[in-house]
Amino acid sequence: MLEVLPLIACILIAFSIGSNDTSNAFGICIGAGIITFRRAVYLLGVFVFIGGILQGKNVMKTVGRELVSINVLILSIALLVSAFMIVFANWKRLPVSSHQAIIGSLVGAGMALGASVRYDTLLKIIESWIISPLGSMLLAMVVYSICEILFRRMPLFKVERILRTLLLLNGMIIAYNTGANELATALGPIVYYGILTPIEAVAVGTLMLWLGAMCLSSRVIETVGKGITSLDAFSGFSAQFSAGMNVLIFTTLGMPVSTTYCIIGGIMGVGILKGVETVRFDLLKRIMLSWILTPLLSFATCYLISLLSIS
Amino acid sequence: MFWRLKLGRGKEGEIISLFREHITIIRDACELFLECIREKDRVTISEVCEMEKLGDTIRREIVLKLYDGAFLPGIRGNLYRLAETLDEVLDTVEDAAIMFMMIPELDEGVMAKCVRIAEINLKMADELLKTFEALRNESDLRDRTIKIRIMEEEVDAIKREIFRRLMETDVQSFWQGMAIYNFIRHLTNVSDLIEDAGDIIQILNVSLR
Repeated sequence: MLEVLPLIACILIAFSIGSNDTSNAFGICIGAGIITFRRAVYLLGVFVFIGGILQGKNVMKTVGRELVSINVLILSIALLVSAFMIVFANWKRLPVSSHQAIIGSLVGAGMALGASVRYDTLLKIIESWIISPLGSMLLAMVVYSICEILFRRMPLFKVERILRTLLLLNGMIIAYNTGANELATALGPIVYYGILTPIEAVAVGTLMLWLGAMCLSSRVIETVGKGITSLDAFSGFSAQFSAGMNVLIFTTLGMPVSTTYCIIGGIMGVGILKGVETVRFDLLKRIMLSWILTPLLSFATCYLISLLSIS
Repeated sequence: MFWRLKLGRGKEGEIISLFREHITIIRDACELFLECIREKDRVTISEVCEMEKLGDTIRREIVLKLYDGAFLPGIRGNLYRLAETLDEVLDTVEDAAIMFMMIPELDEGVMAKCVRIAEINLKMADELLKTFEALRNESDLRDRTIKIRIMEEEVDAIKREIFRRLMETDVQSFWQGMAIYNFIRHLTNVSDLIEDAGDIIQILNVSLR
């Protein structure tokens, strides 16, 4: 019976990722009129499923097997707290990383309940969280500079057409990453505890994510896309492409990293290149605060709840 | 979807064709206007009004398609401005044609200069069409817009000469003078507006870079 709780929490997290990350993947495309919302959601579903099936196992293994030795109580507390935090953050329009909430919760519950926590894996994950947005920032600067040189020599209508195609391809890459990394982080613990097989987990997860996208997406992108620095299609492409490539690399390494933070890093890179004064540091501070607080808060909450559950 | 993006069809291709058609109508209107004032034909010139109506329809179609989400948002604003400016060019050619039907016969010297302006307007419309087409296959449009600007400056110089000559001419009534003034003003405004359209195309060209 207790095994149902982590499953419900996972379904809730997948639903929230869907409501949150359609905007990461296809927000710019929908806003630019390249694709309709409905088509974007269908594409998201397809690529999330492909990502989950082809590369989801790497991240699932890190989160579900190599971080904490899981039991059903750890799983239930960690995933329920993560689900609550992610849903709350979406409701409040905060760009909170689902990875950070899940990892913080698993480690918090694991430590409180005396499970063995592999600190070398935890350290690697934290390093990935730091390196991935910085990597996106640098890559976005390089991509933006290269595109500026290439596009300068091309006629306008050709540039426009290429940009539209690239933005759509970017969306597909991000959608793929959502399945291979974001969703895999949420599904890893239940797969390695044996509640579902990887294929079952990816199928259920994709379905719930798709429903979340259909019902509640298009919220956080307003903060991410428009808030930090003024974003045109060209800058949007550079930021999104660098984030997509970065997450793809980290997915191959099995590291759960946030697409949202990578896109923020990419936008920062483009912003710095355009002139530091275009970057809104007040908003960036808020995002950085959320970056630090999310894992700490999920860790502390799960730690306390787990201690209470023992006593 | 990909084949549409690849071949440039869909809404974007339709808008490009509509713009091409719009500028071609301007060119044809300028040509008809030139022939009519050269031949002093005050009947056929009324066909310019029909062309203006056609231009209006095209402008509306362009605006609706842009509203439907054709092209990236970064260039939609300038495409809209271009459609509006092209419409103003046709309006002004129509105004000049209407005034031509009302004014008495002008002094030969003045008329020759008016014909020269109409010739330049036609050349400018040709150049505008080439500049717009260049958005598909050229990256630097500066030389083309400079050509348009040089022609506009020539029109400005002729306009000053016309007014200098007209000041020495007697008119029968205030309204006749007013009609002649309006004819010259509309005729010379055509080049101003074509120059504006050329500038918008140039802005469009750098807007995504």
